[in-house]
Amino acid sequence: MHTQPKRPVIQIDNLVKAFADQTVLQGLSLTVNQGEILALLGPNGAGKTTTINCLLGFLSPDKGRISVAGYCPQENAALVRQQLAYIPEQVALYPRLSGLENLAYFSKVAGVKVADSDFRALLEIVSLPNHAMDKPVSGYSKGMRQKVGIAIALAKKAKVLILDEPTSGLDPSASHEFSQLIQRLARQGVAILMATHDLFRAQEDAHRVAIINKGQLVDTLSYQQLQETQLEAHYLKHIKVGA
Amino acid sequence: MFKLTLEKEWLDAKRQGQLWWLCLIASLLLLLACTTGWQSYQSYQNDAKEVAQQEQKRWLNQGEKGPHSAAHYGIYVIKPALPFIAIDGGLQAFQGNIVRLEAHTRNDGLFRTIQDNLPIARFGSLTPAFVLQVLLPLLILLIGYPMFAAEKEQGTLKQTLASGVHPMQLFVAKCCVLFAIAFALLLPVMIYLFAISFEQGRVTTLVSRSAGLAGVYIGYVGLWSIVTVAISCLLQSTRRSLIVLLTLWAFSTLLVPKLAMNYSAAAHPLDSSQAFQSRLKREVYTEQRELALARFKQSLLQDYGVNSTNELPFDYAGARLQFGEQYADAIFDRLFGERLEQLQAQSNSYFLASLLSPMVAVQSLSMAFSASDFHHHQHFLAQAEQHRRMMQRVLNHNQRDNAHKRHGRYVANLELWQQIPKFEYHPPAFKALAHHYRVNWVGLILWLMTALLLGAIAVRKLTKEPLR
Repeated sequence: MHTQPKRPVIQIDNLVKAFADQTVLQGLSLTVNQGEILALLGPNGAGKTTTINCLLGFLSPDKGRISVAGYCPQENAALVRQQLAYIPEQVALYPRLSGLENLAYFSKVAGVKVADSDFRALLEIVSLPNHAMDKPVSGYSKGMRQKVGIAIALAKKAKVLILDEPTSGLDPSASHEFSQLIQRLARQGVAILMATHDLFRAQEDAHRVAIINKGQLVDTLSYQQLQETQLEAHYLKHIKVGA
Repeated sequence: MFKLTLEKEWLDAKRQGQLWWLCLIASLLLLLACTTGWQSYQSYQNDAKEVAQQEQKRWLNQGEKGPHSAAHYGIYVIKPALPFIAIDGGLQAFQGNIVRLEAHTRNDGLFRTIQDNLPIARFGSLTPAFVLQVLLPLLILLIGYPMFAAEKEQGTLKQTLASGVHPMQLFVAKCCVLFAIAFALLLPVMIYLFAISFEQGRVTTLVSRSAGLAGVYIGYVGLWSIVTVAISCLLQSTRRSLIVLLTLWAFSTLLVPKLAMNYSAAAHPLDSSQAFQSRLKREVYTEQRELALARFKQSLLQDYGVNSTNELPFDYAGARLQFGEQYADAIFDRLFGERLEQLQAQSNSYFLASLLSPMVAVQSLSMAFSASDFHHHQHFLAQAEQHRRMMQRVLNHNQRDNAHKRHGRYVANLELWQQIPKFEYHPPAFKALAHHYRVNWVGLILWLMTALLLGAIAVRKLTKEPLR
């Protein structure tokens, strides 16, 4: 089911980031390859979201290097952002715009040249109900918003997909649907970094798992190791050791 | 990308229920204010025309009488208004727009419109200028305060920026949407301004004033649009954004103008009108005047080598009256000049508040372009006084040259009354008084630059640390 990883698309090397009273990242190094899903596991405050914000170019690291699709987000934020799609825990869409309008807007601002009719087709691909496409997003469930988020990634033909707690709060069926969609993107060669607490989804979907704690990488598990390991026990062991 | 962002912002803004309600309320207020303003202007203009015609008729039909009796009979002149007072009546209602021109006395303006108002009028009147200067900024901030702050709260700002939108484009697009909404309300007023400019015939004067008024209000609306979006961008929550903007609005449109007005009055106090008038009389009718008249008489007798005024080849009373007028004019010039300096000091002191509040700058410039401010009123009073002096000179000279031939029983008639031209006042071209408003221009330009600087800081923040 899983394709072999290819060249690195996301490279994080010895990343350090401190805020006023706290060092959040302490020399974190990671890579995510083309067509690979890397699940980033860690307790609250481990530095997952800070890592993502650095990847998006919203935060500048104090030390270390980052490369996304060959560009440094801090130096070429616009270029990096055109290459990636970002889906946070709560997919942030304009509530007064419909799903279709949100998709069209976020795709077009990223420089995507897609006919308006194709946007509807993209929403059909992610299984957004037809009747919902033209309705304001304010009435959407979390799962429906996630689908619009995925559709944006599809429309952008993003090389990188960054997910921050994507399945949190989704019902099992929506979570499964979401899983199918990101598997599909990975097969198309998209490098996916998924920060999550959902150990089940990580074990099911990821090609590799990286566990971080207190801003440091404490362990990585390959696909093979994932199949042979009780992930929950392994994760808790590392978190307790780190605590 | 800019067009796309603009379209999205517009789509988002127009689906806000509150936007339509706010625009509807503002439109109704503006419509009401414009209708009232237009009616006031029409009524004032009709009265002014009628008064001017009646006065001219009264002057010409006064019958036969001595020229000096005619000088005391006097004439009332009224200040005509430009149609811009329908937009900004300024001080029009607070200044006496009618002046009685008569012998020996330089009168101040009479019949302030405000005197005819009901007591309830003291609570303020709704004029288009008030709506544009005070309520339109409130509308702009009520629509614009969540533009960035709400996106931060919802997370859409992060999502939008993560899509590759350049912060500068996003900022400018939001400013443009806000400006477009406010401009839509401003547009009917601007159409009115240019329509009346062409309809009234004096195209050059009126069009330049219309363009000035339009420019000032466009700058003002642009300034508030940029400031609103910048504050919304710099602050983290909609609540903070609203509080800061409301504070800024109250400070700029309510507090500063009131404090500046009180300060100006306290720093440059004026005598009451009654005290000034009695001072005029005291300073004109003095012993020095009697001595000056005696010296004048003596010099005439010497110049003509006669012993009695009856032997002069002209009517001495007429010459004496003209001398008395010129003597009083010099005192009027001094005392009115001092009073004008005090009034100008008050006005300049108030104008300085333009540096603290863009509303003061816009208010002053709007009144100036509408010719309804203090400086235009002073220009009218000066013109009326010139007319009075010319009138006295013609009448006194006529008496001087003719009365001695009739042995003191000289009466003049329509032929003389017709020699006094009808008083026709046209407000000057704006550039003639433009130097009075330098500080207001500087204030407005500085505020625009401050708004742009604030915008640049907001864009920089959005670029460097958008999540803070």
